[in-house]
Amino acid sequence: MGSSPAKIGLAILLLMIAVAILAPLIAPYDPHQQTQSSLLVPSVSHWLGTNHVGQDIWSQLVFGARTSLLVGFGVGVLATILGSICGVSAALIGGLYERIAMRLVDTFLVIPMIIVIILVAAYIKPSILMLIVLLALLGWQGGARIIWAQTLSQKEREYVAAARSFGAGNSYLAWRHIVPALGPILLVDFIYGIRRAVFMEAGLAFLGISDLTMVSWGMMMRDALSFSYLHVWQWWLLPTGIALSLTIVGLTFIGHAVEPIIDPRLRGAEVA
Amino acid sequence: MTQAMFNRRNIITYIIALAFILALNFLLPRMMPGDPLMAIYGEEALVAMTPQLKAELVERFALDQPIWRQLGAYVLALFQGKLGYSYYYNAPVLSVVLGRLPWTLLLVGTALVLSTVLGIVLGIESGWRRGSWSDRTMLAGLMSLNGFPDFFLGMVLLIIFGVIWGVFPLAGALTPYSGLTGWSAVLDVVKHMVLPVAALTLAHLSGGYLLTRNTMITVLKEPYMLTARAKGLYPRALKYRHAGRNSMLPVVTQTGIWTGRVVTGALFVELVFAYPGVGSLAYEAMMARDYPVIQGLFLVVAVTVLAANFLVELSYTKLDPRVRQVGRAY
Repeated sequence: MGSSPAKIGLAILLLMIAVAILAPLIAPYDPHQQTQSSLLVPSVSHWLGTNHVGQDIWSQLVFGARTSLLVGFGVGVLATILGSICGVSAALIGGLYERIAMRLVDTFLVIPMIIVIILVAAYIKPSILMLIVLLALLGWQGGARIIWAQTLSQKEREYVAAARSFGAGNSYLAWRHIVPALGPILLVDFIYGIRRAVFMEAGLAFLGISDLTMVSWGMMMRDALSFSYLHVWQWWLLPTGIALSLTIVGLTFIGHAVEPIIDPRLRGAEVA
Repeated sequence: MTQAMFNRRNIITYIIALAFILALNFLLPRMMPGDPLMAIYGEEALVAMTPQLKAELVERFALDQPIWRQLGAYVLALFQGKLGYSYYYNAPVLSVVLGRLPWTLLLVGTALVLSTVLGIVLGIESGWRRGSWSDRTMLAGLMSLNGFPDFFLGMVLLIIFGVIWGVFPLAGALTPYSGLTGWSAVLDVVKHMVLPVAALTLAHLSGGYLLTRNTMITVLKEPYMLTARAKGLYPRALKYRHAGRNSMLPVVTQTGIWTGRVVTGALFVELVFAYPGVGSLAYEAMMARDYPVIQGLFLVVAVTVLAANFLVELSYTKLDPRVRQVGRAY
């Protein structure tokens, strides 16, 4: 975790978290408040101008961080929990249960989740909570596979055999031994879960699938794009896209720095 | 991700996946509160509704009968290739979707090939020079690129090359009413796809690159590399023929998983460039609440991605004889 990309990534993520938490203090306006003064150029009162319905773009950008990170962390936590429950239990219990569980995981891995979400969203306008649940339900399977494989190898270690010989059951083993041992893997799974969710939230909002009570970077980019023939993209589209990309790049850097823990062959492959 | 851990899947997985997709497509509209006719046939159908048409529509999917009968009617219609009728486009769903699919396949196919080949070459070069200045630059650069959502890359390319410099067309897949034929028509199509393909390729380059680079680093430590070096082979033969070839295999296995991701990206990117593929169609259909098209699209895209995944896995078995053994055991 000492490499410089990791530090940059962590710095970006902490900055975004700070912006998201302090959003009401940082943003000068209510991001939803519409005014008569639409498409203003940047000025002292509107740092990034205003959009087509007269909302302050800078305030929207700040509140957008909230939505992105809320969805990101929500999905990250839920998907990691689901992935570990499935992966650890499949490896420990084994037998038919393991085969069915891993088969299901495989099945979900080959279905592109975007079109499932489009179908669902066409019928139910998802609230932010629903979006989080949907993205988590469709996104835990990759992690489950890795956790399963790692649990299988942990299972063979002496300390597990020792615990078993003292009468430890599966759930005790899972909580007291396997999960702590899987710590770094769960962390990588969590970080990539956040990254995927931040990307998907923006992409879906760009497609018009979003909770309209929340400001979303994806929706801002969609609105900005329809005015690309004007000069507004410079202070509307570009800052929004850069904020989104920075968040994802930050998460990628952190994830990539933790990854060699999973695959020891890569140790020393990292650049200093 | 350490994707080498993913096991190979066999045909049963694909059959279950297909069954899940069909079940979702069947159940979701029928579970919605309110008029199932509306949820299955869309808003436009209700506008055009006459009692006679209504009776016909109810009968087609056996909507007045128990759910298992409805399922039977649904499956039967599918086997007959009937995906329903779009009252918004005033055409059968299948022809609406198939009319758009080739454009998406063109974008996705080109971008997949380009990003895989480029990713492998850059990965080999980068892994060969691990730790050098050029390796570090490539690694940092491509990892940053990985963070740029494909649709944002598309917008940036659109603004630079389309709006400011005006070298590439802003939207669409063809110049409308141009009457171009032969090579000039092909050139027109190519010109229109340069920016969307570039956006997709750049956004998906890093997967193949990182995987090849990682494998390359492991392969370079293998004893047979030392032997090859001791034989006095040229560095280029070492790099590409010995190390490179062996570093490519994991990338090929992953192409299947990436197909799904590139299709997702294409749906977004198409919207940026108003490219007339299934992504734009999904957007239009969602805006119009044209449920038959959304359902048909869901089915066609899902089946296409499943088929692509499956073909990649078949080809992988051909490429690497070692897998055949593993495949049998699994």
